[in-house]
Amino acid sequence: MGKGTRTRMLVVVVAAASLGLTAACGSGDADEGSEGGGDVALDFSQWWEPELPEGSFRTLMDRFEEENPGITVELLSGPYSSTKEQVVAGAATGTISDVVGLDGAWVSDFVDQGAIADLSKTMSDAGFDDTQLASQVQIDGSTYMIPVVNFVYPMFTNDDLLAEAGVTAPPTNRTEFADAAEAVTAAGGASGWILPLSLEAPNGIQNDVMSWVWASGGSMLDDEGQPDVTNDDVRSGVEFIKQLWDADVIAPGAATMKEQDKVEEFTNGRVGVMIDSLAHINLIRERNPELKFSIAAIPAEDGYTGERGMPYASWGIGIADNSENKEEAWKLVEFLMSEETNAELSTMANAFPGNTESVPEFVEGDAVFQTAFDIWQQGYPANEFTGLPVAEDLMRTFSEELQRTLTEGQPVDTTLSNVQEAWMQEF
Amino acid sequence: MTSDTLAGAARRAEGLRGPTRTKSRERTLKVGAVVALVLGALFAGLPVLWMLSSSFKSNTEIFELPPRLITDNFSFGAYAAILTDPTKVRFFVNSYIVSLSVTLLTLLVAVLAAYAFSRYVFPLKKSLNVVIVSVQAVPPITLLIPYFGLMVTLGLYNTYLGLILTYLVFTLPYAIIMMTGYFNTLPRELDEAVKIDGGGAMTALWRILVPISVPGLVSVGIYTFMIAWNEYLFALTLTRTDDRRTVPIGISLLMGQHSFEWNEMMAMSVLGSVPVLFLFLFFQRYFMGGMTAGAVKA
Amino acid sequence: MSISSPPRPAPPPQAIRGRRRPSARLVRQATPYGFLSPTIVLLVVLMLTPIVMVIGYSVLDRVVTTNDSTFVGFDNYAEVLTDPVFFTAVRNTVFFAGVSVVAHFVLGLGFALLLNTKLLGARTKALFRMVYILPWLFTAAIIAVLWRLLLSPNGVVNYLLQTDVEWLANPDLALPAVTFINIWAGYPFFMVSLLAGLQGIPQDLYEAATVDGASWRQRLFHVTLPQLWPIIISMALLDFIWTTQQFALIWLTTGGGPIVATEVFTTFTYKLAFASFDFSVAAASAVIVLLLSMVLAFFYVRHQKAWD
Repeated sequence: MGKGTRTRMLVVVVAAASLGLTAACGSGDADEGSEGGGDVALDFSQWWEPELPEGSFRTLMDRFEEENPGITVELLSGPYSSTKEQVVAGAATGTISDVVGLDGAWVSDFVDQGAIADLSKTMSDAGFDDTQLASQVQIDGSTYMIPVVNFVYPMFTNDDLLAEAGVTAPPTNRTEFADAAEAVTAAGGASGWILPLSLEAPNGIQNDVMSWVWASGGSMLDDEGQPDVTNDDVRSGVEFIKQLWDADVIAPGAATMKEQDKVEEFTNGRVGVMIDSLAHINLIRERNPELKFSIAAIPAEDGYTGERGMPYASWGIGIADNSENKEEAWKLVEFLMSEETNAELSTMANAFPGNTESVPEFVEGDAVFQTAFDIWQQGYPANEFTGLPVAEDLMRTFSEELQRTLTEGQPVDTTLSNVQEAWMQEF
Repeated sequence: MTSDTLAGAARRAEGLRGPTRTKSRERTLKVGAVVALVLGALFAGLPVLWMLSSSFKSNTEIFELPPRLITDNFSFGAYAAILTDPTKVRFFVNSYIVSLSVTLLTLLVAVLAAYAFSRYVFPLKKSLNVVIVSVQAVPPITLLIPYFGLMVTLGLYNTYLGLILTYLVFTLPYAIIMMTGYFNTLPRELDEAVKIDGGGAMTALWRILVPISVPGLVSVGIYTFMIAWNEYLFALTLTRTDDRRTVPIGISLLMGQHSFEWNEMMAMSVLGSVPVLFLFLFFQRYFMGGMTAGAVKA
Repeated sequence: MSISSPPRPAPPPQAIRGRRRPSARLVRQATPYGFLSPTIVLLVVLMLTPIVMVIGYSVLDRVVTTNDSTFVGFDNYAEVLTDPVFFTAVRNTVFFAGVSVVAHFVLGLGFALLLNTKLLGARTKALFRMVYILPWLFTAAIIAVLWRLLLSPNGVVNYLLQTDVEWLANPDLALPAVTFINIWAGYPFFMVSLLAGLQGIPQDLYEAATVDGASWRQRLFHVTLPQLWPIIISMALLDFIWTTQQFALIWLTTGGGPIVATEVFTTFTYKLAFASFDFSVAAASAVIVLLLSMVLAFFYVRHQKAWD
């Protein structure tokens, strides 16, 4: 081997090695776990921080740290769409954070996996009075997730489009809704309604389909919490949607549409009515200040006078089962659920509080939010998917079958019985 | 026959057909080439143009009808938002560190392995080949959790090295196959020449084969860089804190549960691709330079 | 020019320093393994270990989600193979990958030839090279988002075509649409490799062909393609395998829908793993895909031998 080659080889190897060494050394400053002397460092993985005003969530954490010297909170934010996989993977490899942001649809599966801790026990150990919690998600009588803030899904109406079509007030029952949707579509340039049925994130089934059933006091489960989708309430809801589909009032692209697309279409004035999250009110105002819209309750079946169920999705919180700092983690949860902080968080997120006493600021002085709040108080929170096993998959199955009905003409009864069968397998 | 004579013969052959016809033929071909080039560029570039135009719009304007390339609220706001955010800038830095390291290491390891496959016969050669090609076939999704567990056990969770090694393993099969194929086209005589002069295998490899293989190395290098740069799933799973996360994660963080920051997403993508474009521009001349491998005549 | 033939054994090293040395034969035999050692170490530790674990998962029940798994033999495989959606996924994957690879090749070759032609100036070619490589620069999530924007019923494409076709939501159009997006996103790979390959074709072959009076078409089919053939086959096989792994693009554009129109191997496996939380069956599905690819890989290696 000539000297030149040896030198060149040496250079290459050294370059590669030093690159690798820098990389490895660079990783040295990523430390996890506790700092020195008795301090507890909590990891809190969630997807909320990027959705809240810049720096606001961190400010809340800083306040918590001030009130609880000796505890620090590290916020680990991840993209929402990957959150579930990451928690599953984290639980499987023991790297799950102490405190975890959760969605109600995932609770049952995480409990099966043994990923999240039993909060009922933690609460009783800490002597916590749980009457102030608006709701708790329980499996077999034990709480595993506490909804911190709730995103309610009322009906949004584009008042200008409705007026142009000759509709003066938001529809209050299904017939009025169908008429309004047809009128808007006929007036041209917009669709009456919009329905996101994407299989990637199938929460359209929860928010845009089942909501019709719940709004009329119906249920998709029986008294024991087992699936019962073949009952009359669900059937009439699905048939109503089929009716709307056949009347061609639903915006095109439904089969692969996601919630974010739905909002954008509405914001751009191409949809007359949509069912959507309150969290978007400020978004719509920001993006299209000229749009006149109002909030109303989801129409119920004609002649229904009972309490209306209102669909909601929450930012829930849980504690990892193998966390070594459960006590401190609970303190963080308690902090987020306390009346003042919860109200503040709700205001920041444009959601309704998980603490029964809290009142978010935006309610006072804002007519739209006030209406929404009133509807919320008058009805009852309805989200039967929370706490069900493989809830997201149940929604997905329902979406697939519903798409068959809408696009292939599969009879509604067949659809419902297929869904029933598929769901029963999971229970 | 030397090239001179051949080239001369070719020119004379063309001349025999008559200058005018050849010229107009060449003109037609040239026009055809330009038309095809432009059509191809439209196919490749229009969506990217749309991405660029979206990065200058406000979020509402992205969905307006009729769509326009330049809108009333044209602004660099999205870019400013990204470049003034230290977290986001860090994502770019991390991506560069990881991608560059992966590229260098892949080329190094692949060249060594390709030399073995190309120049030697040994038992297990065929089986190793099959293994290398087929390990790429396992869906990364299913590998995710066992692989993640492995990384945690090795203490490589949330480290640059973890990501680098991961991508190295992803890109090695392709790199080895390509470099092997490349070395296979280089005649053995070159190796023999070195050995006759008393050099060993390493000399033959590094002093002779590698310098000739530059076009191949560049194309493998570019491919490796792209794979490492654009990978999302493992980057997300194997990193935990913002000081290790990469650009694809940064882009996904802009896709919130309730709304997407469309213009920032597009801007981040554009920002990510510009330096790579420059790298490619810089290395392009290695595609241009004629290969000398073909110069050795039978 | 000789293409690779089995190498003749190298002459034994002449000037040997040092007292004892391993026999020359041993060194010769060990040398290739020496060159291969980093590769082998990396692949064994980081690739084979997880793959073996996945194979292990596939014969157990209720892995990952619980701590008590039991051996169930081939039950998981049976479950996968008797699922009608699995076969739809296979069909869709073959269509998706097959069409993509062919289109990638045609486009890649076409563009590579254009970018290599003598008819255009160097600067022109350099500029267009940059444009042609653009689709490669973006991560799958952005490509998915961008094309969803473009193909949305109220999007640019429909505006330009003056129509309101539901590209991604129509069960008949969804798979071709997604395939088209993949073609757009993936052709630069073929193009760049072929460009490098084109540099290696000796010019005198072309000159000889011109002297013989060959048209550009004949030059293409009788000089260019045969010279590039080994590279083309390698890349076609690799591209096929990689395209079958494509997940993010399809997941983020259509989620495998509408209904099962765009369900492919990867979305099928993902749903098993992270939606149904059935990692055992997902592992079985992954192993089936692995076995199919090994068959392909085996034929590829045999084919390579024939070329030697």
